[in-house]
Amino acid sequence: MTQLILFNVANGLIIGAFYALMAIGLSLIMSLSDVINFAHGGFLAVGAYLAFTLTPYVGFWGGLLLAPVLTAIIGLIVEKFLISRVYGRDPLYSLLLTFGLAFMFEDGTRWIWGAQSLPYEVPSWLMQPLSQQYFFLTGYRLFMIALVAIAVGGLFYVMSKTRLGLRIRAGTLDLETVSVLGVNVRVLRNLNFGIGIYLAGLAGVLAAGQLGLEPTIGASVIMPSFVAIIIGGLGSLTGTLLGGLLIGVASGLTGVFLPPASEAVIYVMMALVLLVRPQGLLGEEGRF
Amino acid sequence: MTKDGNSTRFDRRTLLKAGAAIGAAQLASPFVQVARAADVVKIGMDNPMTGTYAALGKNELMGAQLAIDSINAKGGILGRKVELLNEDSTSGDAGVAVQKARKLIDRDQVNFIIGNVNSALAQAIANVANEKSIFHVVPGGHTDSVTGKNCHWNTFRVCNTTQTEANAVASTLVKTAGKKWYYLTPDYSFGHTLQAGLEAAGAKLGVTKVGGALTPLGTTDFSSYLIKAQAANPDVIIFLHAGQDAVNALKQAVQFGLNKRFHLAGAQQELEVLEGLPPEARVGTWVFEWYWKQPKVAGVDTFISEIRKRNSGHVPTARHYFGHTAIWTCALAAEQAKSLDAVKMARAMQGFQLPPELAMMPDGAFYRAGQNQMIGNLYVGHAQSNGKDDPEDLFVVDQVVNGKEVSPTLEETMCKQDWPKA
Repeated sequence: MTQLILFNVANGLIIGAFYALMAIGLSLIMSLSDVINFAHGGFLAVGAYLAFTLTPYVGFWGGLLLAPVLTAIIGLIVEKFLISRVYGRDPLYSLLLTFGLAFMFEDGTRWIWGAQSLPYEVPSWLMQPLSQQYFFLTGYRLFMIALVAIAVGGLFYVMSKTRLGLRIRAGTLDLETVSVLGVNVRVLRNLNFGIGIYLAGLAGVLAAGQLGLEPTIGASVIMPSFVAIIIGGLGSLTGTLLGGLLIGVASGLTGVFLPPASEAVIYVMMALVLLVRPQGLLGEEGRF
Repeated sequence: MTKDGNSTRFDRRTLLKAGAAIGAAQLASPFVQVARAADVVKIGMDNPMTGTYAALGKNELMGAQLAIDSINAKGGILGRKVELLNEDSTSGDAGVAVQKARKLIDRDQVNFIIGNVNSALAQAIANVANEKSIFHVVPGGHTDSVTGKNCHWNTFRVCNTTQTEANAVASTLVKTAGKKWYYLTPDYSFGHTLQAGLEAAGAKLGVTKVGGALTPLGTTDFSSYLIKAQAANPDVIIFLHAGQDAVNALKQAVQFGLNKRFHLAGAQQELEVLEGLPPEARVGTWVFEWYWKQPKVAGVDTFISEIRKRNSGHVPTARHYFGHTAIWTCALAAEQAKSLDAVKMARAMQGFQLPPELAMMPDGAFYRAGQNQMIGNLYVGHAQSNGKDDPEDLFVVDQVVNGKEVSPTLEETMCKQDWPKA
């Protein structure tokens, strides 16, 4: 039993890291642009499908490198021509817009690549468990953790050490003042959206290695990342990371004792956090 | 932002609203269709086009369209042209499925209705069809009750019951894999009845259940369930998932190397799922309800070449077969009854044997009287990672089972049909 619990804690951390990757992208966009990007899962699917299409030409590694970048470019275009038009309006506008986009992405991928699940292949040496005892530690999952760590580490570096990061953080706190100080807010928001979508694209490629690649792939993994943000606290990237890991572990542990509740448990956690600490574990007060 | 700017936008919006209202009014107008209703026979299809079961629903639709075209080429139903009206039922929202069924029946005035891939939605549509006395065919929703304790005189089903599938595979599993079974079961009616079916079939063969876990529909990460399953140390891990859940569960089980330590198996398996898996994850013992590689069976070759033409060169799956057979069932029933009246058609189908070129199974297929359940062959075998002659030959049939031998008896199904008084 102890072993089962230990396994599930470790396993939950792995899943949680993946949730965190998506949640951080969402959280970036939400903080600076006040847009809840319902289409995040759609971008995730686009990233996964692009990787699938590119792999025969550029190999798995080429796909892993290129697909998120292409997804980010699509993200930049979508932000420039659609999302940017609803900034400063009632949040309902951006909700409706991104909600509609989510449907368009899902049906668009279905139209281009078909409704049927596609076999996305990962190098077979990555697809082995490292040992029979710790069979849930496959090469691929460790690789995923490493990539998440690099992406999150890179993002934290950009946010704390670069001019762009400083401006994004400043904009999150007080966009008007940043604008008055001569920063082009349009470009800032555009780039920030692009970074968020890059992370969604990367999450998509990683997800396709473990899940069946089909048009609802984004929708099926996006809900936990919203929960991760709420639990961790809006505006805090560390909080979002923590939120992702927490729900991963909670869901894994519940799976040991009460499997049918393993999905519901994260929503229960969310409700509890909202009741006890509405701003989230590490969130700033007053944002929500 | 000036007031002028606002008022301009308001004008444009008003225009848009007006445009939308005109569009909606046209859609809502029933007159055009009533005028045409006399000439054509309409078949309504209420099946998933979006969500988890979209791929299965679309394949059933393709099979259905092929049947419609062949029927029209042969002069239609009772000399009248046949038209297919398709609605998206969604993959899991019974409310939407029922609303679409009512729309097809009340507004479009379809003569027959087809649906659904999802067992729960199939049952919901069956109840609406029964209330309206409309001839209804379920192409591919498997739960027992549809032709069991909630059966209706007007609902026919092409695909097998979960109990029949379980009976077909149980003895093979005991012979090839062992008697300690662990169940991974999707948490909705299809999974529950499939597991109950296997437990019942297994009990007769001395199988012990060493554990099981219910996984919510749409689970993406199966690792915690797989950790639990291996801890129970079974001979066989039984996967009862369909569609995307099946792809995710199997893909992850193989990544964990569980296929090397346990026998992976299940009841129902589909070509759609095997094609969505990477080659190394195409493993396990399963039941197919129809398989395209049946060289000596009447009608199969034509069916394959016709579907290939419509399906970018891909072979038909059991779902194409279900859709095709469902439409033909309506046509055959009307021709047999020489009427479009639901009661007469349903009566004409009691015990009806399908023509061999439509049954496309070695032992043929018929609708069992008193239950309206089609009984044909089932194909027990194992998945293979790569096809030898054709890349889509991903299943090796080890045994063709006659459905008559593995179907529960009429009494066991608990189906009691309540026919309207003539």
